Amino acid sequence: MGSKSKSVVVVGAGIAGIQASLDLAELGVEVHLIEDTPTIGGRMPQLDKTFPTNDCSMCILAPKMSECARHARITIHINSSLDAISGEPGDFRCTITERAKYVDPVKCVACGLCEEKCPVKVDDVFDTGLRKRKAISRYFLQSIPAEYTIDKDNCLFFTRGVCKMCEKVCPADAINYEDQDRQLELSAGAIILATGIDPFNPIGFGNFGYHRFANVVTSLEFERILSASGPLGGHVVRASDSKEPKSIAFIQCVGSRDESIGKNYCSSACCMFTIKQAIIAKEHMKDLEPTVFYMDIRAFGKDFDKYYEKAEKKYGVVFTRSKVADIDELPGGNLRLRYTEENGDIKYGEFDMVILAIGLEAREGNRVLSEELDIKLNEFDFYRSDAFGPLESTREGVFVCGAANGPKDIPESVVSASGAVASAAKYLKLERQDIASEDEGAAELDVTGDRPRVGVFVCHCGINIAGVVDVKNVAEYAATLSNVEHSEDVMYACSTDCLETIKKRIEEHGLNRVIVAACTPRTHEPLFRETIAEAGLNPYLCEMANIRDQCSWAHMEEPELATAKSRDLVEMTVAKARQLSSLERLPIDIDPRALVIGGGLSGMTAALSLAEAGHEVFLVEKEKDLGGNMRDIFFNFDKADPQAFLAETIARVEENENIRVFMAGRIDGITGYVGNFETTISGGGNGDAEKVKHGVVIVATGGEEHKTEEYLYGRSSRIVSLVEFEKMLKTGNFPAGRIRNVVIVQCVGSREEGRMYCSRVCCTKAVKNALELKKAKPGADVYFAYRDIRTYGFREKYYTELRDTGAVFLRYTPETKPVVNMVDETNPDSRLKVTAFDPILEKEVEITADLLVLSAAIDPPEGNVRLAKMLKVPLNSDGMFLEAHVKLRPVDFATDGIFVCGLAHSPKDMDESLAQAKAAASRALTFLNKKAILAEGTIARVREDRCSGCAYCESICAYAAIEVDPEKEVAVVNEALCKGCGACVASCRCGALDLLGFSNEQLFSAFDSLEMVITDGGAD
Amino acid sequence: MQGASLKVVDGIKSVVRDFLRKALESEAADAVLVPVRTPAKDSYAWILTNDQAVLDEAGPLAPTMPVQGAKALKSLTRKGQGTARVIAVMRPCEVRAAVELSKLNQVHLDNIILLSYDCTGAVPLQDYVGDPAGSEERFDSMLEARKTEESAVKPVCGICVDFSLVDSDIHLGLIGLAGESALLIPNSEKGAALLEAMGIACEEDTSGWMQAVSGLKAEREDKRSKALAETGASLQGFDGLHAAFADCVGCHNCQSACPICYCRQCYFDSEVARRDPAALLDTAIARGGIAFPGDRVMFHTGRMAHMSLSCVSCGQCSDACPVSIPVADIFSYMADLTQATFEYAAGRDDGEPLPLRQYREDEVEKVHEIVKGAEEEEVAHE
Repeated sequence: MGSKSKSVVVVGAGIAGIQASLDLAELGVEVHLIEDTPTIGGRMPQLDKTFPTNDCSMCILAPKMSECARHARITIHINSSLDAISGEPGDFRCTITERAKYVDPVKCVACGLCEEKCPVKVDDVFDTGLRKRKAISRYFLQSIPAEYTIDKDNCLFFTRGVCKMCEKVCPADAINYEDQDRQLELSAGAIILATGIDPFNPIGFGNFGYHRFANVVTSLEFERILSASGPLGGHVVRASDSKEPKSIAFIQCVGSRDESIGKNYCSSACCMFTIKQAIIAKEHMKDLEPTVFYMDIRAFGKDFDKYYEKAEKKYGVVFTRSKVADIDELPGGNLRLRYTEENGDIKYGEFDMVILAIGLEAREGNRVLSEELDIKLNEFDFYRSDAFGPLESTREGVFVCGAANGPKDIPESVVSASGAVASAAKYLKLERQDIASEDEGAAELDVTGDRPRVGVFVCHCGINIAGVVDVKNVAEYAATLSNVEHSEDVMYACSTDCLETIKKRIEEHGLNRVIVAACTPRTHEPLFRETIAEAGLNPYLCEMANIRDQCSWAHMEEPELATAKSRDLVEMTVAKARQLSSLERLPIDIDPRALVIGGGLSGMTAALSLAEAGHEVFLVEKEKDLGGNMRDIFFNFDKADPQAFLAETIARVEENENIRVFMAGRIDGITGYVGNFETTISGGGNGDAEKVKHGVVIVATGGEEHKTEEYLYGRSSRIVSLVEFEKMLKTGNFPAGRIRNVVIVQCVGSREEGRMYCSRVCCTKAVKNALELKKAKPGADVYFAYRDIRTYGFREKYYTELRDTGAVFLRYTPETKPVVNMVDETNPDSRLKVTAFDPILEKEVEITADLLVLSAAIDPPEGNVRLAKMLKVPLNSDGMFLEAHVKLRPVDFATDGIFVCGLAHSPKDMDESLAQAKAAASRALTFLNKKAILAEGTIARVREDRCSGCAYCESICAYAAIEVDPEKEVAVVNEALCKGCGACVASCRCGALDLLGFSNEQLFSAFDSLEMVITDGGAD
Repeated sequence: MQGASLKVVDGIKSVVRDFLRKALESEAADAVLVPVRTPAKDSYAWILTNDQAVLDEAGPLAPTMPVQGAKALKSLTRKGQGTARVIAVMRPCEVRAAVELSKLNQVHLDNIILLSYDCTGAVPLQDYVGDPAGSEERFDSMLEARKTEESAVKPVCGICVDFSLVDSDIHLGLIGLAGESALLIPNSEKGAALLEAMGIACEEDTSGWMQAVSGLKAEREDKRSKALAETGASLQGFDGLHAAFADCVGCHNCQSACPICYCRQCYFDSEVARRDPAALLDTAIARGGIAFPGDRVMFHTGRMAHMSLSCVSCGQCSDACPVSIPVADIFSYMADLTQATFEYAAGRDDGEPLPLRQYREDEVEKVHEIVKGAEEEEVAHE
C-alpha cells in the first residue's frame, strides 16, 4: 500500500500502549510497539474483574491484544527497551535494544512441551509469586505473542552449562541458545510513552506486617487470588491454613496520600478496586464479612458512586472511616488491627485476612530513562505534563499517556492513549487511505451452485490438542462424511507451511469449503479466512471447529469422550459448511468532514485536532460565544492562566480555515450513518436552516452548574455557588463588610437521590478557590463541610496545603447536612448562621458565616435527551451520554462514527476534557482518514415477506442498525452499521431475520447432523 | 378512583347499549366496534358501525368469543390510526391482547376507546354452537348475578385473575354491587374526556367495588396457581410435552385463533420448515424412524417461545383445537412462569416495555433461580 506517513514508536504495551498503537495503525501509520516484558497486555491481564461493570479484565482486553498482534502495521518488539532518541520532532531516530529470547519466534508454535519438561521452577512474576513457573515459559496463558522465552538467570544451561532439555523436546526446532541482544535503529515522526506504573511495595511499610504475616497480602496479589485463571483457581483461601476467610479487612492508601514517604498524592484507582474486590470476594463467599478501612472513599468517576452504594447496601461491605495504626498476628493466623476512629477512639478488630490497597507509583526506571531521553519528571518521578498539555512531555514530539504521567484507571488510560495519537498526528504527515488490500489478492472464484467440496484440517497443536484428542481418528472420521473431499491431520494448522498446504489442497481437490478443527475462531479465524482468500475462495467459506477449548481442554481427563465430541463438532461443522455461501463486504464511502456539537473547551479542542489533520469541521455552539463553562474559570494551580489559554484556543478556532463555526446554532435533525451523515443546522449567523454533510459526529455538549434550592440559595447575597465564588475572587466584589468566616458546603445536589453521582471537580475546585481566598483575604477562616474529599491524583497536595492553612474540615453525612439560617430574615444581605455537626468533637458547631459557598453538582444539559434521540445513542440514568464500553471504548458510541467527550460524557476537569476531546478526535480520525471502509459480511438480513414490522428488533439493536420502514412496514438493515451480533435475529418472533453466515438453515443443519434420540417427527 | 353510578333497569347489556347510543348521539364517538349476533343466531361477529339499528342488535357483551377482539382491532387499525373515534367493547383479556399488540405495532390505539367490564367468563365456542339459546341464558344469568359458574365457561376463565379493571379507557364495574347498580369508571385521560363530553359526572365512590374485586382476585390467584401447577406437573421433560401434544393433528388452528400470533406467516407454515424427502429419510435412518406430520412438539414449543411473554390467557387456542388438547392451560402455565421471570404481565400497562426491550441487571440472577428451580423440580419428578 505504501503509506507515506511517518511511523511512530510506542513504548509500553499495556492498555494505553495497545490503544495508541491500534489507533495509529488505523490511521495508516506504521507502529513499533516496544515492550519490556515478553508479552503485550501490561497490568490488565493480572486483574480479575474491572469496576464498575465487573467485566472480566482479560475477556475485554484479549480481543484488543489479538487485534494488535494481527494488525499489519503494528510490529511488536517484546523484551525490548527504548534507549535513546536523536533527531527532531517529525524525524526522530530511536535506539531500541531487543534482549535475547533464546527461542526463535518464527519457529515456536507455543505447544508447551518445553515448559512441561523444563526441570527448573521459579516464582511466577505474573502471578505475583503465588505460583511457580519454569525457566522456559510463556508469560501467561493468553500472552501475545504466544512464543516462549528462556529466563536466562534461572536456566540450567546458562547458569551451569547443563540440561538443554527444551532443545531436545522442541518439535519445532525453535530453541536457540546462541541468540544475542540486538540493537535496532527506528525512525519515528513521534514517540508515545506509555510505560505505566509500578505497584507500591509495602515490605517494611507501616506496621502492617506484609511478608511477615502470611495472611496479609497486597491488592494485586488478591487480584490473582480472586481470578479464576489465577493460582488458586478463584477459590479464595488464606495462605496460613488454606481456609476460606470469613472476614477480610481492606486497608486503603498504602503508599498513597502519605507525605512521610514522599507520596503526597492519591493513587486514584485504589478505592474503586478495593470496592470491586470486596464485591467479588463477597460473590465468591456469601457469608464473608468485608470491612474497608479508609480516609475518604474516592468514587469520583462515572457511575462509581452507584457502585460504592451497591457495595454498601446490596453486598453489606462495611466502610470504617479510620486510620489503621498497626497489625498483630494472633495464634492461628488471624490478624488484629489497631485503628483510630474519626473521633480519636482507639479500637481493635480481628480479621482472617488483610488486603493492603497498594498505591500506584512511578516506575523505577523512570529516572534513568528520562535522563537518557532528556525528558523531565515531576516531583513524584512521573513524567511531567501540565494542565493545558496533559498528553505532552517536556520534549516536543514525545507524548505521554496512561499512568506514566500520573495515576489513572483503565478508561482514563485509554482516553489519554487515543488523545496522545491525536496530539502526535501533526508530526505524521497523514494521508487518507484507500480501502485495505482485500482486492489485491487472487480473483475470487464463484462457487454459487457448485456441489460443496469440503476440506477438513484437524490440528494437533503439538500436545495441546493431540495430547488428549485422537486427532488422526477425527481426521479419518471426517473423511467418511458426505461432501468431504479431503481430510488430514496437521501438526500446527496456523504455521506458515500448513497455511501453504491448505492453499495447495484447495487447488488439488477443488475445495470450495474449508474447515479447520483447531482452536478458537476468536483468535484464528481471520488468519484462515485470509488464507483461503489467497487461494481464491470467498473468506466466509471457512469454518472452524474449536476442538481445543471445547474438547482437549474441557475434557482433559476423558480422552475418549473428548475424541468423540471432536468428531461430533467436526460433523456439525461439515453440515453447516455445506450450507455456507459467499458473503460480500460492501464498501462505505466516508465523507471527510466532521460535525462537532458544542463549542466549549472540549468541542473546540476536538475541532482543532480534526482541522489540523486537514478535515473540514462544522462546529455548532448554542450560545453566542465560544468557550462554554471555561469562561467562568479564572484560576488554576499551575501558573498557566485559564483565560489566556481559552482566548488562545478561541483565536486558533476562529483563524482556522477548516473550521466553520455556527454560533447560536441549533441542530434540527441528523440523518444518515457513519461516513454519510446529513445534519440540518439553524442559526449560524443568518438564521436560515442549512444542511451539511459529514462523515462523523463528535458530541461535546458539556454540562451546567446545578441551580440548587437548598441552603437558602438565592435568599441572601452572601450565599453563592462555587462558580459565582470564583468570579467573586476574580473581580474582588465580595459582599460588603468583613469577610471572616467562609463556609464551603460540598456535594450540593451530588451523591444523593436524583443525582447519584459525584460531580468530580467540586472538591478540587473548592480547594483551589479556598486557597485563592486565603491569598485575597489572609484573615479569613475557611470551614469546609464535606462528605469525602476527592482530590484525586496530584490534586491531593493542594488539599494538604489547604489543611496546613488551618482550614476547618467538617465531615457530614446525608443525615447530618449543615443547616443554614439567615441572621436577619428580612435583610437580603444578611449574614448566615450555619449549624454543622463536627464528628471529631462529636457535637454541633455554630458558625456565623460572612459568606456561604455551595459546591453545586454538574447537571447534564437538557438538550441531551433530544440530541440522543436524533443520534439514536443512549444516555445513562443520570442523563449523560453513555459510551460503547465504559472501560475500553470510553469515547466511542456503539453506533459507528459518533463520539463523545468532555462533560457530555461525565463531569471532569480541564486537563481531562482536553485529553478526552483529543481522544474523540483521534477515534474520529480512524474513520475520516479512510476514503471508504468495508461493512461486515456477517450481517442481519430481513425477509420482507415474513416481517410484521413490529419493531422489536429496532429497540434491541445496540448499533441503531435496523429500523422499520414506515411505508413498507418492514424492518430494514443498515448494512454499514450492522455488526452481525444477531440480537435482532433472536428477538424476531416471526423468523423474518437471519444472520448471514449463521442462518437458521445453517445452524439447524448443524444440529440435525447429530444423532439424537427420536421421539417426535420432522425437524424436531 | 371515582366513577359514575348507573342504574340497571333492563339488564346490564342494555346499560351498555344505552351508553353507546348516547356516545354516538352526542358525537363523542364516531362509531362503535361491538360483537353482534350473526343472522343464524348461532355465533357472534365483530361489527364496526354507527347505525343505531345495528347497535340494537349488538350483544354488546357476547357470551362467547369466536374471534378475539384484539384481532378485530388489528383488522381495523393495522394500517394506522384512522381519524374516526371508535369505542370498542371488549373483555379484559381482549383489551390486554390489544395493549400487547399495540406495543408490537400491530394495532394503533390512539383513536380507539376501549370499554371493558367485569367479566364473568366466556362460554366455550363448541358449547355455544351446540346450544346457542341455552348458552345465552346461562351467560345472561351469570352476568346479572355477576358471578362465574365454572361449569359454564372456558377452563381458563375459571382461573382468570384479570377479570376486572385492566388497561382500558372506560370500565364498567359490576362485581360486588347491588343488582340494580353499576359503576362507569374512567380509566385513562381519553376515557375521562369521553365521559365529560357526554356530560357524565364521575363522583361515585368505588371502594366497595374495588374491595369485592380484590377479594375475588385473591381467591382466583390461589386457584390459578394450584390449577396451573397441576398442568405443569404433567408437562415435565420431553416425554411430558410429547404426551401433552400427542393428539395434535398439526392444523395450527391454535395459532390462527391466537391474538398474539401476529406473524404474517408462521415459520412452521413456511417453505423453510418443509424438508426434502431424502433429508427426511436420512433422519429417519439415523434415528430409527420419524413421525408425521412433523414439527408437533417443535411447533408448540416454538410458538410458546415466541409468544408466551405476551400470552393473555384468553383461551382462544383451546376453543380452536379440534382434538380438545388443553392448549390454553399449557400455554398459561408457561406464560405465568416467563412473565414472572421478567416481572411482566402481558397487556397490564401500555407504558410497560416488552421484556426483551429492556435490560435489568438482576434479571439474569432471576433466570438462574428459575432454571435451578426447574432442574430441582425435574429431579423431584424423576
